[in-house]
Amino acid sequence: MAVKMVNLTIDNHPVSVPAGTLVVDAAKKVGIEIPVFCYHPKMDPVGMCRLCLVEIGRPMVDRATNQPVLEADGSPKISFGPKLETACTTPVSEGMVVLTENDKVSEARKDILEFILTSHPLDCPVCDKGGECPLQNLTMRFGPGESRFLFDEKMRLAKQVPLGELILLDRERCIQCARCVRFQKEIVDDPVIGFSQRGRALEIVTFSDPGFDSIFSGNTTDICPVGALTTSDFRFGARPWEMNAAASLCTHCPVGCNLTINVRREARAGGRDVIKRIMPRQNESVNEIWICDKGRFAYHFTESEQRLTEPMMRKGSELVAVSWDEALQAAASRLKKAGEKTITLAGGRLSNEDLFNLCQLTSGLGGQYWMHGTMGGGDLLAQVGVGQGTNLGEFGPGSAILVVASDLHEEAPVWWLRVKQAAERGATLIVASARPTRLDRFAKCVIRYAYGEEVETVTSLVPEYKTDVSEAICAGIQGILGAENLVVFFGSDGLGLEGTTALAAACMELLVKTNHFGRANNGLIAVWPNANTQGAFELGYRPAADLASRLAEAQVAYIAAADPAGDDPALAEALRKTGFIIVQELFMTPTARMADLVLPAQAFTEREGTFVSGERRVQRYYPAVRPISGPRPDFQIAAQIAAQLGFSLEERLASLVFQRLSEAMPDFAGLTYQQLAMVEEQWPLIGRHDLYFGGTGYDNHQGLGVQLKPAAQRLEPLNLPDVPELPPLQAPEGAFLVVPITCLYDRGQTLLPTSLLHERMEKPAIYVHPKLATRVGLEDKQSFQLVLNGISTLVQVIFDENAPEGAALLPRSVGVPIQGPALAQKEIVSG
Amino acid sequence: MFRGILEGMRQTLRSFFEKPVTIQYPEQKRPVRARFKGRHVLKRYENGLEKCIGCALCAAACPADAIFVEAAENTDERRFSPGERYASTYEINMLRCIYCGFCEDACPTEAIVLGDNYELSFMDRAASIYTKDMLLEPVPAVDKLTPQSTPPGVFTRSVPEMKDPED
Amino acid sequence: MNELQKQYPDEIRQILAKYPPEYKRSAVMPLLHLAQRQNGHVSPSAIDEIAEILDVSPTDVVSVAGFYTLFHLEEGGRYRIQICTDLPCALRGAEHFLKAVCEELGVAVGETTPDGLFTVEEVKCLAACHRAPMFQLQGDGEIAYHEDQTIEKFRALVNDLRRHAQTHKEAA
Repeated sequence: MAVKMVNLTIDNHPVSVPAGTLVVDAAKKVGIEIPVFCYHPKMDPVGMCRLCLVEIGRPMVDRATNQPVLEADGSPKISFGPKLETACTTPVSEGMVVLTENDKVSEARKDILEFILTSHPLDCPVCDKGGECPLQNLTMRFGPGESRFLFDEKMRLAKQVPLGELILLDRERCIQCARCVRFQKEIVDDPVIGFSQRGRALEIVTFSDPGFDSIFSGNTTDICPVGALTTSDFRFGARPWEMNAAASLCTHCPVGCNLTINVRREARAGGRDVIKRIMPRQNESVNEIWICDKGRFAYHFTESEQRLTEPMMRKGSELVAVSWDEALQAAASRLKKAGEKTITLAGGRLSNEDLFNLCQLTSGLGGQYWMHGTMGGGDLLAQVGVGQGTNLGEFGPGSAILVVASDLHEEAPVWWLRVKQAAERGATLIVASARPTRLDRFAKCVIRYAYGEEVETVTSLVPEYKTDVSEAICAGIQGILGAENLVVFFGSDGLGLEGTTALAAACMELLVKTNHFGRANNGLIAVWPNANTQGAFELGYRPAADLASRLAEAQVAYIAAADPAGDDPALAEALRKTGFIIVQELFMTPTARMADLVLPAQAFTEREGTFVSGERRVQRYYPAVRPISGPRPDFQIAAQIAAQLGFSLEERLASLVFQRLSEAMPDFAGLTYQQLAMVEEQWPLIGRHDLYFGGTGYDNHQGLGVQLKPAAQRLEPLNLPDVPELPPLQAPEGAFLVVPITCLYDRGQTLLPTSLLHERMEKPAIYVHPKLATRVGLEDKQSFQLVLNGISTLVQVIFDENAPEGAALLPRSVGVPIQGPALAQKEIVSG
Repeated sequence: MFRGILEGMRQTLRSFFEKPVTIQYPEQKRPVRARFKGRHVLKRYENGLEKCIGCALCAAACPADAIFVEAAENTDERRFSPGERYASTYEINMLRCIYCGFCEDACPTEAIVLGDNYELSFMDRAASIYTKDMLLEPVPAVDKLTPQSTPPGVFTRSVPEMKDPED
Repeated sequence: MNELQKQYPDEIRQILAKYPPEYKRSAVMPLLHLAQRQNGHVSPSAIDEIAEILDVSPTDVVSVAGFYTLFHLEEGGRYRIQICTDLPCALRGAEHFLKAVCEELGVAVGETTPDGLFTVEEVKCLAACHRAPMFQLQGDGEIAYHEDQTIEKFRALVNDLRRHAQTHKEAA
């Protein structure tokens, strides 16, 4: 589709931009910066602050003849308006002449700034924004040196208004640009903050419970052009110029949001590097300039006092600290003895380099390696994952998105945001889920099924199987048929390993039958539980359904970044039978407590590596802090053990491991760290030090990553798996069905050390529909012993009208082990 | 030849009766000039609250990178300085300091002042780092020690209103 | 349970019927009036109830209520005496009138008389400049303009209202 281009002149620079571009953006394209406060390139303009006033002239047209009026020299005659116009609300037009630097404009800017500053407290020395504040920058550049207003008449307002426990408001500093209010309403659909009163009395209020109840609230502190909104995490933490910035990735979900970690060396931490805050780093194909609050605040685990710092070996019944040499030797001798009776179990939190060295070590011994997790289907993404060049930001009319069995808002918030925005731009969104989710209201068609019918639902969406289907499914089929591009997200809402594996196969079948695979903006995306689950699949790791028996038979179990004993009592039982357990971890997990040898690993902030996101984008993260002494990177530990056994694995640098990896794995062929670090100009330009201000988020100079081509895009033949049928879920008398769901703020090992989020974390509780509760005999807010897979845990009942009537919902990682749909009973306490 | 010797002796004898220019340091100390820049002092208000608000502008202005500041938040129950922010850590490395006085110029609350103490010698490098306790001036009275408990809503301004410096 | 819905089921149905269902948020103003009818102010629970009826966030409802001077989020007297003191009114003596009213009732601007009957407020233009001094009387679910005022006229009105309130109290 050819976009109509419009030609105009800005300060004598000829510019050609697509029709509909605003004057501010057009100016930015040629490097002319028009100052703004309220305008933000990601939001609709409102023209509230008036700082972007410019002089605009348009070619005169003779009304009688409809011909342009010409000057004597033949050039079109330009008529300038009597007043200045806001550049942020005015779209470009043909022949327009914009003046941004004349006296009239400078005078206007000076006056506007003088007005804005009438009630600004000018407490820059204590303000967290001081040093990266557009109000400071613009006042220095355009403002008056002195104010004509009386200092005594300044408004005196509250300086510490908590909008909830995460974000604080300083009413005096607010310049009423409404960026935060508009962000919450337009971008994340959480209109929980608003303006009350008017004129000088205008103030930001929130009436939600908990206050400022939004999982994207931290972003408002980035885009706030003054220090009115601050996070309680960073408040008074450091001045912006004192911190170092390191590029990193978020490790909490499969989106792979690009981050910048701000670090400072501190006396109160004994001279250690301390992470002061996490900021988004622009990547328009991944997270644009946003991150969720979990990504922003839940980094404290890396600095936890509970981290393991030295290798430990079981001597007698105790784990005692030993030297690395002794630990590595012990590991090597045990592994040598075990040989092919070695089993390696890795978690999706490890980087590709770690996973590669671990699988090389294990295959060298003839052992087997598995992934710890209850979600399958990653191997299918290698065939029909989204094609190289996929960008959800490009989705609009003519594209369709199907989301199956996933509550994206809780599982992968930034994908939720991007899918929602795609739907608002006109993409057809089809949501299939067993319960209402936050995505429903943006969907063209919502398909509701009962837990257990996921595979059937997806299969019925294949147009050629069109049989006797419901109206919703018909609408879904219409949506898919009418779309040029289709992306399918599948998750694990209410599903275990068996269910997700079958669902992935069904989704692949749908994509293949409708020919939506093997090219950009088409294919399958998995909503994984971990940041690098996809990477583990790429390197050949698979989750095992019979893991318990395999562990029980193994002579040595080498477990890295996984906690099978904590997640599943059956696996804990199996591990008791394992000959020797080596655990490589950050924390003393239940599995580590059972281990014979514990090896401390480095956190992602202390080292470098790569992850593969759910969209199969390989991205790099860099070391942010100097490592604490003791722990070593996982890939290095594996390589050092291998060295003792006589194999040569790369142990020096992650980049060298990656080099070997790309030689060994066809999907990664030719990839290097240099390629992953390449950047190109991204639009909109959101620089940190610009007068045209997009937020305190960071520019991306450290790499946009590379999306892998799926096999289908490389024109390799497909291997279509059979879609297994799942047994129907039915609860016998006296029992009821419980299914696992994923919640954003769970009580996992990487989240608990962030005390700031404790109030918002899920409690050990099940969500039950009142009707189901009556049938089972449960009351709201009642605590009872839930018997699940033979294990009894004390949980609370929370009535939830949105829960299905057929099954109770149990969040994962809240202290009650659940792997997939299971039958539960209420324990009868006698006496 | 004798003339030369006598001339020398005369000079010596004359100096003998002149008032000496040397003083008996360290028993006796010479007062410093008004603009002398010696060791830093962190000032207090009359009510005992610290003037320093932990803004770290002194650290930013310091050409020798000698100053290190960490800030924390005041509450009315535990108040160190007016306003919301105070310096929880304040360190100056006296070996690095070049006594240029830029920190004084940068300070928005006139909290840091280069005083008249020039007796700075150390037995090791660690001793050259002066912490906040060593830099803060003594309290005017025992009941004015920081942190103080203050009535709510009184000390809300970090930066006091000040006149332009006159000299 | 939604108290507002329980109290005025018919009115709410009528109000909502005026707007297409997808734009039912437009009914926020009439509903705020309804909620204010009983007590003279919109209570926090009423805010939540309106939000629930219209399917918007309570913050949105507060933004609207806060924007207009005719909605009150805080409890005031049974009658609100809103005196305009903008420039044209001031030229016709509104400021003196305001002062006299305050003295008459023994309260400052923004305060309520001890019997809980009258609150005096200073407001922006009420579009009756030519008949200033004037005020708007809000109370008992009604709004009335009182123009060309003097303190004597005001005193008479206040006495009427006091008597009215008294008889209603006795009747009840």
